[in-house]
Amino acid sequence: MLQGPGIAWYLGIAAFLFATGALGVLIRRNPLIILLSLEIMLNGGNLALIAFSRHAGNGAGQIFALAVMAVAASEVCVGLGLVVALHRRRLAMDVDKLSELRG
Amino acid sequence: MIAGAWLCLFAPLAGTLAITVGGNRISRLAAGWLSTASVFVAFGGAAWSFFGLRAHGSEHGALSTAWVWLQAGTFKAGLSVLVDPLSTMMMLIVSGVGGLIVLYSIGYMDGDDEERRYFAYMSLFVFSMLLLVEGGNLLILLAGWGLVGLSSYLLIGFWHERPTAVAAAKKAFVMNAIGDATMALAFFVLIAHSNSLSFATSFATAGHLSETTVNLVALGLLGGAVAKSAQIPLHTWLPDAMEGPTPVSALIHAATMVTAGVYLIVRTHPIFEQARTIELIAAGLGTLTLLVAGLIALVQTDIKRVIAYSTMSQIGYMFLGAGVGAYANGMFHLLTHAFFKALLFLAAGLVIHALSGEQDMRKMGGIGKVMPWTRWAFLAGALALVGLPPFAGFFSKDAIIAAALHDHWYGVVLAIAALAGAFLTGLYTFRMYFIVFGPTAGSDTAPRSQTHEGPKTMLVPVGILAVLSVVGGWIQFSPFWHPLTNWLSPVAATLGVAEPSNTQEAIASVFAVVLGLAGAVVAYAVYGQRRLAIPRVPSLQRALEHKLYFDEAYDALFYRPAAAMAVSFRREFEEPVVLASGSDLGEGALELGQGLRRLQTGLLRTYVFFLATGMAVLAVVFLVVK
Repeated sequence: MLQGPGIAWYLGIAAFLFATGALGVLIRRNPLIILLSLEIMLNGGNLALIAFSRHAGNGAGQIFALAVMAVAASEVCVGLGLVVALHRRRLAMDVDKLSELRG
Repeated sequence: MIAGAWLCLFAPLAGTLAITVGGNRISRLAAGWLSTASVFVAFGGAAWSFFGLRAHGSEHGALSTAWVWLQAGTFKAGLSVLVDPLSTMMMLIVSGVGGLIVLYSIGYMDGDDEERRYFAYMSLFVFSMLLLVEGGNLLILLAGWGLVGLSSYLLIGFWHERPTAVAAAKKAFVMNAIGDATMALAFFVLIAHSNSLSFATSFATAGHLSETTVNLVALGLLGGAVAKSAQIPLHTWLPDAMEGPTPVSALIHAATMVTAGVYLIVRTHPIFEQARTIELIAAGLGTLTLLVAGLIALVQTDIKRVIAYSTMSQIGYMFLGAGVGAYANGMFHLLTHAFFKALLFLAAGLVIHALSGEQDMRKMGGIGKVMPWTRWAFLAGALALVGLPPFAGFFSKDAIIAAALHDHWYGVVLAIAALAGAFLTGLYTFRMYFIVFGPTAGSDTAPRSQTHEGPKTMLVPVGILAVLSVVGGWIQFSPFWHPLTNWLSPVAATLGVAEPSNTQEAIASVFAVVLGLAGAVVAYAVYGQRRLAIPRVPSLQRALEHKLYFDEAYDALFYRPAAAMAVSFRREFEEPVVLASGSDLGEGALELGQGLRRLQTGLLRTYVFFLATGMAVLAVVFLVVK
């Protein structure tokens, strides 16, 4: 049995990471930074999954974490692709100005 | 004998189909002769079955079913024809008089635009009428009943470019539909109780029904008869139906279709005898009609309308005869009436034809000089209508009055009214005769140099009918010889209460002849010699000219409320609810969209904020619920 800090510590760090990411998504306007913040939120989630996996003693959480990483990778592909496309069209790197969907 | 009946039924249908399929490939004249031939072949078939039946004895009627037409559970109705004394008599009248009238039409309709259509309709009508009278069960009878209504509608509206003709056709159809509906309801009651519409079963069932039920059935049948025969209160369509060509009026609205009501009462008399009250109501309605129609005929100026009212009046006599139980007398009057009324219409048609469509009697004055044959024929028809001996009407009308006289106080009242009707008949008939053919030509008479008698095809039928109007009544003279009554006795034996004594016969005859003659003499004094001035009663005259306000009353009672209801439904329901609901829904959706639009800010952070808030709320809910 591996020894280490209790599950509460892990969850605390996971919540901290998630909140940091969410704050970044909410207040930053640069799409690149928002993508980075999203990754931080995902990693917070992953940490919580692995912590639970270890706490429960089975591998299900790890599998979930791997799936989340795969999704994150593809999401970054799309997201970065969009950022590059925006840049090529010389559009402002500011999500508040990309508001054509306003009703 | 049965083969004759089938031939009689289908020959006119074949004529219709041949003309319809032939279309433009056959000439107009050929269409006319084809139609005439088909109806005369039907007459041959009718004669065949008549003589066949006579050889067998009139009580040996035969029913022949071609196939079972309708089957529902144990209910069965076949396409069957019945050969019995009543149906052969009607077959002979319909196809015989019909053939003469179709022959006459060839001359009358010459030069009309759509002659082929006309002759196809005429043959169709004869087929429908034969189906009605030959039908071996009540369902086939009803089918014929509806088909004659249809062909009557088509022929009244034949000149469809005239709005009045179209309106008249619609009116006739609607009024008849009322009667068809009550008849159908009566049949439903019969089916419910006997599960059959065959004559024998239905009549046998009528004896076991409760009084209310049998009264309802008889009332339904009476409704049909009254509508078809233009009796009060469903009579207003017949005068308007004169918008059709004159031979149509002669065939459908005088000789055959309008007498179908009398046929129906005689055919279903076992039901009516179980509901004697209804039968006496039929007699009363007939008497009322004969008086009212006789009065209205006094003031009409359109020659065809005068004859139309006279038809209503004469059918009133037939209803009176059939209603009191003298079925054979009613049928006898139907027979003679077919002769002399067809004659009057055809003679009037000759005048109208010669004056190229003029129907106002006041503009016909002096026409007798150039049309002597027509004048004599018309006079024969008029005398037969008034019922002077030895003309046909004398024998048949007086027998009806005598039969009514026998039946206690109610019958006496009816007989007196019928005698008053005889006076009116004499008056209006000879008023018409003297105005049209009278010696003094009216001041507004057009020059008559171009007018002359019609072609042979028109004169020959008129001549035959004129002879029949004279001799047609001789086949039966009530107290002395009565072959017709004997012939009909197996199907429609006269009720005991309607067998008058010889004294009653004599009283009825003397009074009827004297009163009819008196009417004619008064008409001569007023319209022939112009010695007497017409007494002026403006209110009465106005009332009669408005046909006693029946049309106006029906307008106020049925048409206006229905139209007002329809308008108010449109205003109160359709426009605010049905029509407005569509745009209301659309506007509501638009407003909702306008509201929801505000949520779509286009700012990423608001979306994320809502997402995060949602998550937070969910998390709190989970925590609390747990």
